[in-house]
Amino acid sequence: MGWNILGGDMSKAKGRSKMKKTKIKIDYTKCGDKGGIDPRECTICLKVCDPCVFLMHSVIGAEEEDPNDPQVWRITAVWPSVCMRCMACVEACPEQAITVKW
Amino acid sequence: MCQWCMKHGAGKKWYLNSKNYFADQIAPENEMREYLEEQWKNMENLFIRKIKGFSSVGLGYKMKMPIIGRVLRAAAEGMIHSEKQHRNPVRADGHFGQAIPLEEAKLIMSELAAEPIIENYCLCRYMQRGTKECCCINFGVLSEIIEKIPRYIPKDRVVRIDRETAMERLEEHNKKGYIASVWFQPVPYINAICSCESPECGGLRLRTSFDLNAFYKAEYIIQLDQDKCQGCKQCVSMCQFGALRYIPSQKRVIVDYDKCFGCGVCRHACNNDALKLIPREEFPGWDGTY
Repeated sequence: MGWNILGGDMSKAKGRSKMKKTKIKIDYTKCGDKGGIDPRECTICLKVCDPCVFLMHSVIGAEEEDPNDPQVWRITAVWPSVCMRCMACVEACPEQAITVKW
Repeated sequence: MCQWCMKHGAGKKWYLNSKNYFADQIAPENEMREYLEEQWKNMENLFIRKIKGFSSVGLGYKMKMPIIGRVLRAAAEGMIHSEKQHRNPVRADGHFGQAIPLEEAKLIMSELAAEPIIENYCLCRYMQRGTKECCCINFGVLSEIIEKIPRYIPKDRVVRIDRETAMERLEEHNKKGYIASVWFQPVPYINAICSCESPECGGLRLRTSFDLNAFYKAEYIIQLDQDKCQGCKQCVSMCQFGALRYIPSQKRVIVDYDKCFGCGVCRHACNNDALKLIPREEFPGWDGTY
């Protein structure tokens, strides 16, 4: 837990003097349930990301629906705090759906 | 011996206690079946679920916040280690694992695992990397459930395998560089041996990036014989955790014991027999650090 009395755990902020918050946004009108692309067929961003920030999953609330339906699948950047900001996903996405900001 | 060995080990390591492999001795079978069925039906939904009102998206930042971070950490760990009667399957209550060396994985496979034994796709790797790789071995009640869900099982090969084949597969995966790990699902029922890879594995991700105890270090730790090490650097490429590093001035490999999970995968690469696993308890300074 580190030495912070309030409980802020900075032990994982290895080597970064100031922790910047990375925001990764995926435009779902271009990719996923609303766009024409089935994330399960594409998976380029998943493969290109070294620290594995992205997660391919079925949408929350779609539990009762058919899991084989492409409409219930999407990709979310679940672990933005481990992002290395290499921009590989931004360059690799064929639909230009990903934006990374910090 | 970790805290789970004390609780569920009956004097041994928790995964060597044969009682933990029988579902009907731990909980009523229907309850166990219900939990596993619910969990595996929507396994792809599990990661982004909410932890006590917090979405797990961006967990890293939330956990670094003062006060809230500590509350969230306690909530998440309580959830992972939950031993309550009615656990929530879609939040993966009571699902965590530990690294084990290949020898013990084989021992479990040959003597302890309940029939039937099946091989299925690694869901973590599918969700995080988009690749389907057949490297999880499940047994007991869980395999009967997974068999019925077509997207988890390979089409072109036999799903049910015998103990010898399972041991061969484990060895194959381990030599490739995957870490053998044994899982509670839910605690104290043991029904899976996986061959995990960092950072794709869900448990390893929570442990290595957020320091949540969803995955424990093995009961062993690596010991490097400095005289035998020739500095061929082969083991460095095998370590998933970056615990081994080559230093040119000494022409040998150094070990970061803090990062070592004791999985023993590096031993397969060593040509000079310089790396061996010793029990963590016998290693001064690192006993009790799981």
